[in-house]
Amino acid sequence: MKVSRGDIFEQVFVDESVNLHLIQEAGSRVKIHLINFSSATNSITIEQAGEGCETEIYALAYLHGEESVTTETHVKHAVGGGKSNQLIKFVLDDKARGRFIGDLKIVQDAQQTEAHQTNRNLLLSDEAEMRTQPQLEIYADDVQATHGASTGQLDESALFYMQQRGISKQKARQLLVNAFMKEVLDSISDSAIRDQLLNTIDGVVE
Amino acid sequence: MNELLRIENLHASIGGKEILKGVNLVINEGEVHAIMGPNGAGKSTLSAVLTGNPAYEVTAGKVLLHGEDLLAMEPEIRARAGVFLSFQYPVEIPGVSMTNFMRTALNEKRAYEGKEPLTPKEFLTLMREKKKLLELPDKLNNRSVNEGFSGGEKKKNEIFQMAMLEPCLAILDETDSGLDIDALRIVAEGVNRLKTPQNASIVITHYQRLLDYIVPDFVHVLADGKIVKTGDKTLALELEEKGYEGL
Repeated sequence: MKVSRGDIFEQVFVDESVNLHLIQEAGSRVKIHLINFSSATNSITIEQAGEGCETEIYALAYLHGEESVTTETHVKHAVGGGKSNQLIKFVLDDKARGRFIGDLKIVQDAQQTEAHQTNRNLLLSDEAEMRTQPQLEIYADDVQATHGASTGQLDESALFYMQQRGISKQKARQLLVNAFMKEVLDSISDSAIRDQLLNTIDGVVE
Repeated sequence: MNELLRIENLHASIGGKEILKGVNLVINEGEVHAIMGPNGAGKSTLSAVLTGNPAYEVTAGKVLLHGEDLLAMEPEIRARAGVFLSFQYPVEIPGVSMTNFMRTALNEKRAYEGKEPLTPKEFLTLMREKKKLLELPDKLNNRSVNEGFSGGEKKKNEIFQMAMLEPCLAILDETDSGLDIDALRIVAEGVNRLKTPQNASIVITHYQRLLDYIVPDFVHVLADGKIVKTGDKTLALELEEKGYEGL
């Protein structure tokens, strides 16, 4: 699908498997949110084919039991002067599995590209499993590109600090997990959808 | 005078290494106790053990708060029962606002006491009132807990939380470290104003300086996991002059 010159494609996908291939013409903007609370497979392919495009991809998966989510992103800067930003988060409890494949390509002629990819994962159980495979191919030299991936557990010192103020351990976990997820939801432009999802995570975090 | 806290023969270790080697201490309501001592003596371990930090293991002894077994309580129950620790290194909690954090803490304590939660309006009024005590700006309400706070703001924020929660036993763990003289004065005045005939505090410090502002009834010297000397406030002055080796 083409996103025409100067157009905006913006969509929040909640609890579905998304397979999307977008070709961006000059000056177009894409903003996608993938929110998953159960098993799904997502594949997002974006090609910035014209100058001055902007791409934002946000993904949040919060999984329990034996659910699993794979999210692939393929972002290609074929023309210079574009921007892309990706924030991908997984919260995995029980035996849930997450997989992120992030393929970012900046071709040789795509000078003055700005591209950021961040993947942060929170494991709430010893049996949860996360696999992260970033693939960066950068052939242009005048670019700003950053990439970061980390997988960790809840901060024990923060949990204890909250307990020391009388907050139960369970409630403290809930506050920390919500804070972790909120960063993704806060970037949703539509306030009605955003508030609804913020309410949802308040309800599902145990 | 009513007994608030009784520590008997307390031994505790971390990672198999014994740090507290038989601490005995009785604190009555209305008293301020200073605990001084060299680095590694076990001062911070004592505060960690009293508050139930899971990193430490109690190997012997007992601690009673108002006659009840403190060590049997979960950390959050100790807090709701009125044990408050002003952390030496307050923890940053990104994404959790001060308002949300403080309202949750206060309402959990109120529920424990069988009281109704505060309405949002009552809560915000209380926040504003207590903030003034510490000269903290209102904008901190919307910031994440301790995130991006200066060293002085973090310590003031600890005493602010103490003002909100009104503990019966406040443990101030090196609250003076990293404070300039103005911040020290504000923090100390805050602590003094929270003093009542029913509550007590344990002031852990390296230096006499803080004790010029928060005047202790007793000064204890902790060395190698035991209280080796107890005196009145003049003991702190003596330590300042002669050092711990001079004992």
